[in-house]
Amino acid sequence: MKLRACALAALVVLVAFLVALAASLAPSPATATPGFARQTGLSCAACHSVFPELTPFGRRFKLNAYVFTNVKQLEPVSEQGQKTLSLSDLPPLSVQLQGSNTWLGKALPDNGASAQPTDRSQQNSTQFPQALSLFYTGKIADYLGAFLQLTWNPTPNSVGIDNSDLRFANHSDFESIGVSDFIYGLTLNNNPTSQDVWNSTPAWGYPFLTTNAGVPPIAKVILDGQLAQQSAGLSGYLFLFNRLYLEVGGYRSAQTSFTNATTGGPGPLDSTAPLMRLSGTAAPYWRVAWEQDWDSHSLSVGTYGIVAPTHPTGIGESGPRNTFTDIALDAEYQYLTDNHIFSAYGTWIHELRHFNNVTLVDHPNNTLDTVRFTGSYFFRRKIGGSVQLFSTTGSKDTVLYPSGIAVLGSATGRPDTRGAVFELDFLPWLNTKLGVQYTMYTMFNGKSRNYDGFGRNASDNNTVYVFVWTAF
Amino acid sequence: MKANVMYVAIAGLVLMTAGAEAQEKSAAPDLVTRVCSTCHRPRGISTSPMFPHLAAQQAVYLETQLKAFRDRSRADPHAQAFMWGMAAQLTDAAITEIAAYYASQQPAPGKLAGREETAAGKKIYQEGIPAQQVPPCQSCHGDKAAGNGPFPRLAGQHRPYLERQLAAFISNARANEIMHENSKNLTALQISQIAAFLSAQP
Repeated sequence: MKLRACALAALVVLVAFLVALAASLAPSPATATPGFARQTGLSCAACHSVFPELTPFGRRFKLNAYVFTNVKQLEPVSEQGQKTLSLSDLPPLSVQLQGSNTWLGKALPDNGASAQPTDRSQQNSTQFPQALSLFYTGKIADYLGAFLQLTWNPTPNSVGIDNSDLRFANHSDFESIGVSDFIYGLTLNNNPTSQDVWNSTPAWGYPFLTTNAGVPPIAKVILDGQLAQQSAGLSGYLFLFNRLYLEVGGYRSAQTSFTNATTGGPGPLDSTAPLMRLSGTAAPYWRVAWEQDWDSHSLSVGTYGIVAPTHPTGIGESGPRNTFTDIALDAEYQYLTDNHIFSAYGTWIHELRHFNNVTLVDHPNNTLDTVRFTGSYFFRRKIGGSVQLFSTTGSKDTVLYPSGIAVLGSATGRPDTRGAVFELDFLPWLNTKLGVQYTMYTMFNGKSRNYDGFGRNASDNNTVYVFVWTAF
Repeated sequence: MKANVMYVAIAGLVLMTAGAEAQEKSAAPDLVTRVCSTCHRPRGISTSPMFPHLAAQQAVYLETQLKAFRDRSRADPHAQAFMWGMAAQLTDAAITEIAAYYASQQPAPGKLAGREETAAGKKIYQEGIPAQQVPPCQSCHGDKAAGNGPFPRLAGQHRPYLERQLAAFISNARANEIMHENSKNLTALQISQIAAFLSAQP
């Protein structure tokens, strides 16, 4: 079996981890501190259980617009005695680096998805870097902060805006009306759920880092990253009594690197805009969550969703719209102590799709459901791992999920894809993660065996992914 | 129409910022509401045992600890991870204000522990362990464990927090010569019993 060599390599890496672990189990302070840590002087462990997962304190840091600071500020004052600026002496900048190697279960054909899989490409994909990011993360002014990320990606070898969130927030109380504690805020961001503070929603959900050299399944719900950096949203939120989170807002298309044909500049999107774009005034987005913390435990349950009218490429604003409505449930549990960290999170996203562009589909109404459930454990934030079970199921549609395409198609016209992810991580320092991740498919694009009609099995898309992830 | 939505949103942002500036006049100091309460909660009764209760703590003790975090003389692991950053820019006036605020709050109610361990802890607290050169804790911390001046209130404190501090005194992770001498001969079981008793006190 082709996977034997990469399984052996993964085993060697695992042994190396264990040896390194034995040598470094003594607790050590964080020796390198990314932007937030530079601004606050807090250890990574204050806000993160194991990055990027947030602790209850980390959630509140984000809800407070990232403004907690203990760096000297430049604070000029006007003639009327009002503070006109509050600028950190030390900008909260940091860099993130990811490098990886991916072994794919069965090599891809050489000439793209339309070719018969006779000639084959390299079976593994080495990327150094897989991504390189520059962050500004922290306070801009009193009550205003940002999480801004620029990332170099290997495809198409360019730097682009990544998840970004500009946020205003105030933490206050109204003693006179018996409200002891609440946060209110506004967030402007470019990816629905990137503003969320729980790790059970897609943008900051598990797997936190995964291969980009695998085979993507044929269908994803719209909240599963389809609008990431292709939209801009503004929403307002309240966090009441340290328990109840309420957010409502709207997203519009804001497509990066699109040039309007008429103006030659980043003007309004027209039918030549690549990919799908949100149509209309705004796609409403909502999020409600309840968090209950006690002793070392934190439990939250919630719901979120979006109603997204869209146009595909080639359809102008006056043309027929397709509407994707996502309604989701999620839950997260954490047990956080110095020695043991256990987390579990799950989400179920139910998508209702209505197509007015009837040429794209067999049936104008269909559904797609995604369920993910993850459990993870870490010992002293040094070593641990995660297991995730995932499943996407949807209506059969031979036009939307066409056959006749090697690797990426569906011989049955079904999008059903399911499997599991297993990951083992070692963190020699709080800001550096070394990991081995195995993604296993028991079904892919509708079938376990010969799912594309060209002889490719679901397990041929299994990946062994070895990575280094550091931020400094 | 779409432009109007944007203008309304910007106006909202401006109004909220102005409102935020006007709201300095709540009962708690601004820093407490905005920062300290995130972990210690607005009234100083925290949820997670990672963060100690501050409610009804001795003001002198709180001031000493905040200054110790600021100058990094208190260096147990959680002090480093959380409080060094939090205290770095605090002025003396802010420290006094925060300490006075939390000192004036109603104390945490206490959390019942097992009967036997509570009784054993009470005996150690009141009588000490002469055979192990452990003096009675109440001679400094008071017969109700409410503290006095520089000696902190211990009553009702999170049990894991108390256990962690005693361990830190023993190992000198938290530098305090008196507490090191007083606690260095305690066994792990005795620490657990003392913490059980104290955490149950109102």
